[in-house]
Amino acid sequence: MPAVRASNLYKVFGKRAPKAVELLSDGRHRDEIRELDVTAAVIDVSFEVEPGEIFVVMGLSGSGKSTLIRMLNGLLPPTAGSVEVDGTNISALPKRALRTLRGEKISMVFQHFALFPHRTVLENAAYGLEVRGVPRAERHERARHALGLVGLEGWEDKVPQQLSGGMQQRVGLARALTADTDIILMDEAFSALDPLIRRDMQTQLLQLQAELGKTIIFITHDLNEAMRLGDRICVLRDGRVAQIGTAEEILSQPANDYVAQFTEDVDRTRVFTASSVMEPPIPVIDPGHGPRAALRTMRENQTVTAFVVHRDRRLVGVVREEAIGEAVRTGVKDLEGLVVADVERVHPDTAVADLFQQAALSPYPLAVVDDDERLVGVIPRVTLLAALAPGASEDEQAPEGADDLVAAAAPNGAARSEGADGSEGGQR
Amino acid sequence: MGAPVLTHSVEVPRIPVGQWFESTINWLRANLGFVFDLIGEVIGASVDFLSVLLTAPSATFLTLIAAAVVTKGLLEGRGRRATAVLWGAFLLLYLAELLFGAAAAVIGSMPAPLFVWAMELFGAEYVYPPLVLALLLLTALAVAVFATKAPRRQRYTAIGAVAALLAVLTLHFVVGVQIDLITLLLLAALAWVVSGWRLALFSVLGFLLIVSMDKWQDAMSSLALILVATVVAVVVAVPIGVLAAYSNKLSGVLKPVLDFMQTLPAFVYLIPAIFFFGIGQVPGVIATVIFAMPPGVRLTELGIRQVDKELVEAGEAFGAPDLQILRQIQLPLALTTIMAGINQVIMLSLSMVVIAGMVGAGGLGNVVYSGIARSDMPLGFEGGIAVVVLAIYLDRLTGAVTRYSPALRAQKAQAG
Ligand SMILES: Nc1ncnc2c1ncn2[C@@H]1O[C@H](COP(=O)(O)OP(=O)(O)OP(=O)(O)O)[C@@H](O)[C@H]1O
Ligand SMILES: [Mg+2]
Repeated sequence: MPAVRASNLYKVFGKRAPKAVELLSDGRHRDEIRELDVTAAVIDVSFEVEPGEIFVVMGLSGSGKSTLIRMLNGLLPPTAGSVEVDGTNISALPKRALRTLRGEKISMVFQHFALFPHRTVLENAAYGLEVRGVPRAERHERARHALGLVGLEGWEDKVPQQLSGGMQQRVGLARALTADTDIILMDEAFSALDPLIRRDMQTQLLQLQAELGKTIIFITHDLNEAMRLGDRICVLRDGRVAQIGTAEEILSQPANDYVAQFTEDVDRTRVFTASSVMEPPIPVIDPGHGPRAALRTMRENQTVTAFVVHRDRRLVGVVREEAIGEAVRTGVKDLEGLVVADVERVHPDTAVADLFQQAALSPYPLAVVDDDERLVGVIPRVTLLAALAPGASEDEQAPEGADDLVAAAAPNGAARSEGADGSEGGQR
Repeated sequence: MGAPVLTHSVEVPRIPVGQWFESTINWLRANLGFVFDLIGEVIGASVDFLSVLLTAPSATFLTLIAAAVVTKGLLEGRGRRATAVLWGAFLLLYLAELLFGAAAAVIGSMPAPLFVWAMELFGAEYVYPPLVLALLLLTALAVAVFATKAPRRQRYTAIGAVAALLAVLTLHFVVGVQIDLITLLLLAALAWVVSGWRLALFSVLGFLLIVSMDKWQDAMSSLALILVATVVAVVVAVPIGVLAAYSNKLSGVLKPVLDFMQTLPAFVYLIPAIFFFGIGQVPGVIATVIFAMPPGVRLTELGIRQVDKELVEAGEAFGAPDLQILRQIQLPLALTTIMAGINQVIMLSLSMVVIAGMVGAGGLGNVVYSGIARSDMPLGFEGGIAVVVLAIYLDRLTGAVTRYSPALRAQKAQAG
């Protein structure tokens, strides 16, 4: 059962909202219904968020993100459509039950902090528990813990006014964390933070989520942030969903020009990982074969280097065509002395940005090996460079390089899964 | 050519608005008379009580006030149970005393030195059971403050309250200072605590002027009337203002009604007020309430509406019920604006003093009114000056409360 499910959600502000919904569901753009004197903030949005997922909603200012998130906990009633939380349709709930559900299941971090100016930081953080009637000592204890998590110990007795914007934002986060609900809605929770703290908080959020398994719906207008945090990303445009997918899907297969344009200046090297840009290791050479067989294999595949792996795909090293050709001429019968074992290895989850240095140092393609030292893919330098190009897609061919194994297929989600399938046990 | 002569005029039928009003009033008087009688009783009793408190407070009253101050400190800390027990015991004993004179017996069984000391201090005729009970209550509360390890601020408050009481009792009963001057000093002390030394100095000088003009009794009786009127107005206005903030419809209906209440000449509703409540303080209070209430409603509505919508949403998002949001978020944050409204209510009440004097409410209004009636210029002027002093005092006092923003209040509370 999804933690949150939105089905054909509409939110139209104005008197003639029902009429507007009718027109909008026929596919009209929201600018076309201006004469109805309504604002269509959210139009026909559907998605499901699985428990433990970080679902990011992103879009430009005014695209309806805040309106959407407010419907997810019932702060705003939808004009049409429904929201289900843990299988309960919240639009149908009576007021009291809705309140209980909010208190126990969903907390929220607000775009403009929404801290209570007349309460101390500690009392602000403890608010959710206070509403639920948790005794004072216990809720303060838990609030202190949450404040510690966001790096605000020592500030408990100040009032929000005495804190900087970034610190206030963290109090808002602590307030949501203290409430200890399974679902957290975060409306541009990090946009007031400076870049350093922001990265820090992102890391912390990812950690927290890994530890506590929270379901997080995160709103941002920063694509890099979306890509970093989101298991899946929903791109909103003028209130409608432009695309929903993983970061890589959105980068490599944008649903339309808008999304493509949007993703133009994303730092791809941070989004893509080794596994998403690597290529299938073809050909590979068995260490038991002789130089002659190896040379034939390489000639057939027109490459100058090849990786040597055991039957179970454990990596031994790499061989060069020249060396093998020499060996064949001089009549060496064994590959062993020809294999260069000292080849750069990288993990499939390494960000592309972190591959460059290793790639520059190594005369060979990078070997992508999993935790069991099994070769799951290779990354020639050219592939690495191709990954940087915006809008790179499957059919695009990168130029061939002298020391490359195969012509590079550009990065995409499909390549990733091929790579994974290619090695048994690569993704356990 | 002269001006055209009007030969035809449009016949506009006479609408008997006045008669309708009168018959409505008559109907109300006939059918709901008991309600008005009850309201009149309560208001009359409150004004009398306050006047006595301000002009001739008994030692018991003063002791109970000190006890209330200490209690407030206790309630903020961890002394809730102790407070409840002590006040409960006091009320029980007090009732028993009233009904059976039981306290005398209890007192007889108490350790002697305390009462010997008290008798020496005040003279035996002042040691009557209610006072002793009140003193015991105060002592017990002060002990409770220290026993519960209350924060330092509360301990200081307790010590201060007891010391102030002793000082007052000593000044009055031992040194023999008249009670007017003591009340004056207490009012000045209040000004000092709430606002600062400037207002304290002003109030000492201003009130001394009133005393020297021999208008103190009148001034205090007017103050009592104003305070009661203000309390009634606030009690009615704030809930209405809150409701108006929630409902645009009510707000729309209310607007003309409030305008009506504020602009209808006050004399006009003195007539029905007298009709309902007779001559005296009560119609004065009622007329004052009606005239002074509108800003209370308006500013409460404004204050609540001004509270950042996202803060209310934050309350909702964490599952708080509406009433809790109102109590914990909206009212505290609107308090500054509401206080500005209360300030306005008080000022408008003051401006009604003279009119209230016309219906026999007594006080400074009466002074000014007789000054007018008898063309007694000095009398009228002195009455007027006394009103001005009261007005400045009350305005600055409530204004000082308005200055604290919600954040400042939280900080102050935290510092304690
Ligand atoms: N209460 C409201 N009444 C009328 N229109 C509204 C209301 N709330 C939002 N809107 C409109 O809905 C649209 C979407 O607003 P929303 O706040 O959801 O945008 P957003 O994506 O969160 O933008 P931002 O990034 O600036 O926060 C805007 O055009 C806004 O003017
Ligand atoms: Mg927003």
